[in-house]
Amino acid sequence: MISRIRYTFREMWASLSRNLTLTAAAVITSTVSLFLFGGTLLIQRAFDNQLKKWTGGVEMIVYVNHGATPDKVELIRKALLAESSTVETVDYCDETCSAGIAATLFATDPAALEQLLPNIPSLFKVKPVDKSSSALLRSLKTQFEGLPNVHSVETPDEAVDLLSQLKDFFGVRTLVLSVVLLGASALLIWNTIRTAMFARRREIEVMKLVGATNWFIRLPFMLEGLLQGIVGAAMGSAALLFVNDNWTSGVRGFPDNSGLKSFVVTDGFPLWVCFWMVILGAFVGAVGSATAASRFLDV
Amino acid sequence: MIRLENVTKSYSTEVTALRDANFDIAKGEFVFLVGPSGSGKSTMLRLMNRQERPEKGAVWVAGRNINDMPDSKVPHLRRNIGNIFQDYKLLAGKTVFENIAFALEVIGKPRHVIRQQVPAVLELVGLGGKQERFPHQLSGGEQQRVSIARAFVNRPLILLADEPTGNLDPATGEGIMRLLDRINKTGTTVVMATHDQRIVNMMRKRVIQFDRGVIVRDQARGVYE
Repeated sequence: MISRIRYTFREMWASLSRNLTLTAAAVITSTVSLFLFGGTLLIQRAFDNQLKKWTGGVEMIVYVNHGATPDKVELIRKALLAESSTVETVDYCDETCSAGIAATLFATDPAALEQLLPNIPSLFKVKPVDKSSSALLRSLKTQFEGLPNVHSVETPDEAVDLLSQLKDFFGVRTLVLSVVLLGASALLIWNTIRTAMFARRREIEVMKLVGATNWFIRLPFMLEGLLQGIVGAAMGSAALLFVNDNWTSGVRGFPDNSGLKSFVVTDGFPLWVCFWMVILGAFVGAVGSATAASRFLDV
Repeated sequence: MIRLENVTKSYSTEVTALRDANFDIAKGEFVFLVGPSGSGKSTMLRLMNRQERPEKGAVWVAGRNINDMPDSKVPHLRRNIGNIFQDYKLLAGKTVFENIAFALEVIGKPRHVIRQQVPAVLELVGLGGKQERFPHQLSGGEQQRVSIARAFVNRPLILLADEPTGNLDPATGEGIMRLLDRINKTGTTVVMATHDQRIVNMMRKRVIQFDRGVIVRDQARGVYE
């Protein structure tokens, strides 16, 4: 058994070093494709984080007509709370509270504030259950706007829509690109193994004639492909961690209101992505080389 | 040891390499397959180690019909059959020792067995002391001896030799034949394809003659006609 293991690794190494340029090409393609694949997952996660940050503070503002009596305000509260399946919390802010908010918002524009204060509406801050669904936000807005004594309803649905669109746009395109590149790296590994087998066809012929099993002949070639996939994945993972660290430290320096502060992935997610990249790299390498080794064994 | 029953092998509709071939080869026999190029000698050898399969008939080796043998069992069959070629098929990047050890290594023999068997077989073929040389540092006759050593190192039941003296001068060829005869005397069945008239006449072994895929003569202690 030990002699077989020694033989397998020796032959794998010999084959790798003989096809150095092809091996390098296969490893680089695996690196790039797996880097893009991992990058896609991180970008999706960053969008999720950003969306969570934005939607964490998402509130619908239901403005009540100025001068509405307490019983009319209470009717609106009951109507809002009746939507328990879609509404999480309802907080009332009377005209005094509303004036306080306006004073903060218009601190630098006293003229506008002065114009606003005489007719300032009271308001309800409504937190929806699903904050990332712009369709739900729009539907609630239409529904609440129809309530008596409601002046208007404001929702952040456009911002949520934009972020979701961006996520889909980048997510789909980078995913398609990385899948295409993964296919390319599998093909390149397949071709590398095919070339390695062709270069050693005389040895393989002798091996078959002296009674080596097909598995014994295949194994070094399959390990070679597996190693190419794993090395590619490891290099891709290292590059991904480096780029992610670089991005995160760069974004941290941005101002709070830049809107990009949360477009980072700082939890253990990158390491989890790297783990799956290595598994995927090994899988692509093993499939590419196993197919080639089986297909071209009859040399 | 080897039996062919009504074996027919074609490579295309126009080319029939063997037609309705029948013969038995007993254990320990030395048999020459003779005939002109393209008469079916090499095809016969390729049928015996399952490199080819016949369209019709059965090839029995060591009591088993190897046509019905599953592919997974073929390597085990081949461990009992040594192969010798006209062009030696040695691996240029390996030394004499490594070329022979390779045959044992790929069938999973442990290192201590390899260290023991390789020098012994090199002594047998007369190449003791040349185990560190590379094939290009050897003469044609020596390279063929390495090829024989590689084929015999696993002590197979059968040796199949395809024109082993084809690239050698007469004196060297005779040396190779003496070596094959010695191996045959250890009980190994030797089947050799050749059109070397001088060697067949010198050895006076059983001769099976082919002509355009048909066996036209099967003669004990025969000569080349």
